[in-house]
Amino acid sequence: MEYAIFFVFAAIAVVFALLVVLHRNPVVGALSLVASFFALAVMYVLLEAPFLAALQIIVYAGAIMVLFLFVIMLLNLQHMAEPATRPVQQFLSYTSSAAFAIGLIYYLLKYAVFEALPSGFFAADARTVGIRMFEAYVFPFEMVSILLLAAIVGALTLSGRMTGSREKVPAPEQPGVEAR
Amino acid sequence: MIPTHYFLILSAILFTIGVMGVLTRKNGITIFMCIELMVNAVNLTFLAYARQFHDVHGVIFVFFIMAIAAAEAAVGLAIFISLFHHRDTIDVDEANLMHW
Repeated sequence: MEYAIFFVFAAIAVVFALLVVLHRNPVVGALSLVASFFALAVMYVLLEAPFLAALQIIVYAGAIMVLFLFVIMLLNLQHMAEPATRPVQQFLSYTSSAAFAIGLIYYLLKYAVFEALPSGFFAADARTVGIRMFEAYVFPFEMVSILLLAAIVGALTLSGRMTGSREKVPAPEQPGVEAR
Repeated sequence: MIPTHYFLILSAILFTIGVMGVLTRKNGITIFMCIELMVNAVNLTFLAYARQFHDVHGVIFVFFIMAIAAAEAAVGLAIFISLFHHRDTIDVDEANLMHW
């Protein structure tokens, strides 16, 4: 039963990840990535980390991908034709990533096959994670909050809301006439 | 209980799909989504090893990676909005100058 769940959701994750790469429309890509993240959340439940599965759905599928969708729709990208990749680049990319995958899986099967899981109960639920985090990782936790604050300021500055650098039109020739 | 290397191989496949997308696509936001896919593949590896070695530290690492991915998404998308306002495209081949 567990294996059936694993293989079904692994197939879902891989198929939707491929759809992200192969589909030309970025809206379809973003929605496929949401589906892939949901399948990965199932993987996290199978790995006995229900807290992170919830975070995966709330933070990734709920917040980050909605941000992506907002930006795609804000820029109106779904009608913009993406120029085709050069054939030589496409050939080199596919062959090199296939070689990378084959090498990675070969070495995983050679060195990373463990005999058995250690016995004993292990569950990374919210309580366990929280206790361990505030024992040993209080300082990185606070640093992450500062990083998020810096990201907010950086995003506001870059998108030009604060400096007014969104103006693409040049300044008018007549002096004394305001552009806005 | 599913063995750990099943998850590791799934993670390797997802990471490779992300690499393939970064190498082949030209739309900046799609490339960014492929990077998110690679980050998630690494998260899966962290959790698989955390269960294998009964160590909560791997889970805490994934928590921090998620927070940093959120910050990265905010700043990266702001960069693409800024690029779109200057260039009217987010084709990464067009963005080959350090200034405009």
